[in-house]
Amino acid sequence: MGVTIDVKNLTKKYGKVTALDRVNLTIQPGEFLVLLGPSGCGKTTLLRCIAGLETPDEGEISIDDQVVFSAERGISVPSGKRRVGMVFQSYALWPHMAVYENVGFGLRLRKIPPKDVRRQVDKVLEDLSMAGLGNRYPSELSGGQQQRVAVARLLASKPPVFLMDEPLSNLDARLRLDMRSELKRLHYQLEVTTVYVTHDQTEAMTMATRVVVMEGGRIRQIDAPQEIYRKPANIFIAEFVGMPRINTFPAKIFMQNGTCWAEMDGIKIPLPWIPAQKEVRAAIRPEDITISVNPLENSPEFQVYAVLPCGPEIYVQVKRGNRIIMIRETRQLDLQMDQPVWLKIDPAAVNLYDIQSGLLLISENGKTAEQPTKGGNK
Amino acid sequence: MNKLANSIGLIHNNPFKRQLNLIRHRITSPQFVISVLLLVVLGYLVLMPLYGLAERTLVWKDSDLRISKEIEPGTITLFHWKNIFSGRIARSFFYKPLLNTLLTGTIAALIAMLLGSFLAWLVTRTDLPGRNWLKTLLTLPYIIPSFAIALAWETLFRSPKIGGQPGFFQVIFNVPPPEWLSYGPVPIIITMAVHYFPFALLLVSGALATIDTQLEEGAEILGASRWTILRKITFPVVAPAVIAAFVLTFGRTIGNFALQFLLGLPVHYHTLATMLYMSLKMGFEPIAYVLGIILIVITSLVVYGSNRYLGKNLRRYETVGGKGFKGEPARLGPWRWPVFSMVGTVAFITAIFPLMLLAYQTLMLVKGRFDLGNLTLHFWIGASDPDIVSGEPGVLQNPIILSAAWNSIRLAVLSSIISTILGLIVAYLIVRNHKSVTATLLDQISFLPFLFPAIAFGAMYLSLFATRQGPIPALYGTFALLVIISVVKRLPYAVRTGTSAITQIGVELEEAAQIEGASWLQRIRMVVMPLATSGIVSGFMVTFVGMMRELSLIILLITPQTAVLMTLGFRYAEDGWVQLSNALVLLVTLITIIGELIVWRLGKSRLSRLREKQMAGKKE
Repeated sequence: MGVTIDVKNLTKKYGKVTALDRVNLTIQPGEFLVLLGPSGCGKTTLLRCIAGLETPDEGEISIDDQVVFSAERGISVPSGKRRVGMVFQSYALWPHMAVYENVGFGLRLRKIPPKDVRRQVDKVLEDLSMAGLGNRYPSELSGGQQQRVAVARLLASKPPVFLMDEPLSNLDARLRLDMRSELKRLHYQLEVTTVYVTHDQTEAMTMATRVVVMEGGRIRQIDAPQEIYRKPANIFIAEFVGMPRINTFPAKIFMQNGTCWAEMDGIKIPLPWIPAQKEVRAAIRPEDITISVNPLENSPEFQVYAVLPCGPEIYVQVKRGNRIIMIRETRQLDLQMDQPVWLKIDPAAVNLYDIQSGLLLISENGKTAEQPTKGGNK
Repeated sequence: MNKLANSIGLIHNNPFKRQLNLIRHRITSPQFVISVLLLVVLGYLVLMPLYGLAERTLVWKDSDLRISKEIEPGTITLFHWKNIFSGRIARSFFYKPLLNTLLTGTIAALIAMLLGSFLAWLVTRTDLPGRNWLKTLLTLPYIIPSFAIALAWETLFRSPKIGGQPGFFQVIFNVPPPEWLSYGPVPIIITMAVHYFPFALLLVSGALATIDTQLEEGAEILGASRWTILRKITFPVVAPAVIAAFVLTFGRTIGNFALQFLLGLPVHYHTLATMLYMSLKMGFEPIAYVLGIILIVITSLVVYGSNRYLGKNLRRYETVGGKGFKGEPARLGPWRWPVFSMVGTVAFITAIFPLMLLAYQTLMLVKGRFDLGNLTLHFWIGASDPDIVSGEPGVLQNPIILSAAWNSIRLAVLSSIISTILGLIVAYLIVRNHKSVTATLLDQISFLPFLFPAIAFGAMYLSLFATRQGPIPALYGTFALLVIISVVKRLPYAVRTGTSAITQIGVELEEAAQIEGASWLQRIRMVVMPLATSGIVSGFMVTFVGMMRELSLIILLITPQTAVLMTLGFRYAEDGWVQLSNALVLLVTLITIIGELIVWRLGKSRLSRLREKQMAGKKE
């Protein structure tokens, strides 16, 4: 069912601002690809270029081996002919049309007999448990229902590519969670190639088969969600992905007793490999640090700065000097403010980054990673 | 195959060819083609007349041979300009009328501004009884044609010393009114102030309604007295709107021809507008056209100046309706009823009394005789009687008047429809392609007619379309020319209405249709038009009402076959057939008031529908 989307060397400028800078990306058939990044990183521009709503300045886009855009060859297939469907952030439901007309719009344009349009629209609405709402106007629907109508409109035309531009960002938290699983289920059933834009990293993690992290108009990393989380390709991604935020420290590398050690703020960690640099930046997720109320050999003493219980887990901030470290504990610890504690860090979970370039220095088997992972090589 | 082509393309990356492709895409898009077409058509209809006007004043024509035998038609000359500025006629044709224009305009605008602002404060920020309907009543003088107010004044203060029958004043007081009160600058100033103060009232009350009352409450908490608050907070915040009211009113008085003509001519008190008209009537075309250019220059300076000094401030206060003021209204205390009767009197004198005068006048068989035996319905329903107004039958069975009424409605309907649709298309192209060269040019060219005072614009079209121009036949005397000039003159307003309608429609609504495969025309038809309708219907009515009472714009282009109610009324007034003239003006007033009421109703329902749309559009 799904098709391949190929993006080559895509550049888009708005005046002097470069929204997309030589972007290369291959989207596999049936993939659920999430474009993730802070606002202004170019993710929406990339989606709109694929949709045909923006005209890039350079590069080429093909969908299912058909070139739909090429600056060089002067090809620009209009959106309506690219066989893509799109859900907009604002839903973009036509306020003067009832749900039936909204959903059946594309079908009617294709001169499909009214009876068949009706049947297909009914089917889609039923699948989305919206049967009976066909005669309502968008203003008479709740936010969640409007969102479903937007999805129904996308489904009705049966496009081989789904494009979604932050479709859930206007829903309240609970509804958003429900819709996530519904969209995921939909993708599982239809296996349509899906490109999904979001700035919400939780959403990216939960939905994607692969995540593309963008920053400053460039792709910084393409990987499975877990890889993005465990092995962020650079310090920016490490800090952008994950809630609460990752801890980063300046760290010194030294040899002692035949073991390579990293020392940061007095905590010493044995490293399973030997980096070339003497000074690096270390990044450790809050859940990879454990708290001990008894003194530990490789850790100095910290004070508890704040305890933030939130249901199944506790966030604890500890302090030493000017540094505050965030720890995520699943154990039900009974900690007091300003109580002395010691920290233990899982050496396998530490990522080291080059201070100048901010790039990741190690990989699992000890090889030095110099470049962010390139797209399409999975 | 594809791959191969791609790799070749990537290697031979030819920036020139790429640029060419981009340009080709742009110029073959329907929006670009329409933009260029509109630019050509509007350019011709707006810029050519301006050029024609200028050319006529700078080049000798055959018809100028009567000025001197020695001139050579076709050569360039500054004679007409020198003549106006320093010739024998300079004083009577230019300097005096210029002074009169500036004098009457400034004083009238000043009075309108003060009166309008004060009343605006009373009806929006105080506990004045019945302030809502008082406000509606006070806007009436602006809806009544200014020509009607002048006619009413004349009915009241007509003086037999100038000729003709006495007015009400003389009948009541048994002495003729002083001449300065009958004709000349004083009545011109007063009637213009009466006609324009509602404009200031609307503008200033709009600004007052959008003031954040917390600003004032903040000062009150700090212990400021009400007078201090008014002086230090309220006034500075609305000052831009007050100044804008002055500047814009002044700009409008410059082009107000009929009122100045009616009340100035009997004592030979001329303004630039009336001088332009007289010059054309006397056959001094070049002089008229020079005066037209001067009028355009003055208006442009006023608009440029106000934009420059008010710029952003003005835009900030241009919200009509606004958020609605919720704070405590100022208490008038014991002054409540005295102020009410004062405002009520103003409303009565300016809005209702003139109409009553006009109506009564139409019932008088002989002007100036106030006994009951003189009352008649002849001017409304009477048959032709050679002894009365040269045998003109009553309004309701006079074929000339009926055909003029038909023309009026036809002209108003046609030009409203065309200018509304055209304005919507231009607005669409401007909003959706903003920053592009064609959009910027369209924006500017469609604004230009705003700078042409109505009478000068009429003169421009007269100069251009009196003769055949290339493939375009001489349009003078045709109904089509009236439609064209009305459409072009109304375009700046139509574009503004269209812009606000288009801005309300989110781009993504169109993009969603684009994705579903709708072409540009389909998008316009299925998405933009239906959503813009509620916005443009009120724009349509505003144009309709404006065209019904339009006089200065078309007076120079009218022929007996194309006469409309207003021009016919003007002719009758020129001939001294006041009863007929009043009856016609009353008819027009009635139609415009009905129209305004419809606009007002539409505006209300439009607001509620818009709110619904916004709810649908944004779910935060």
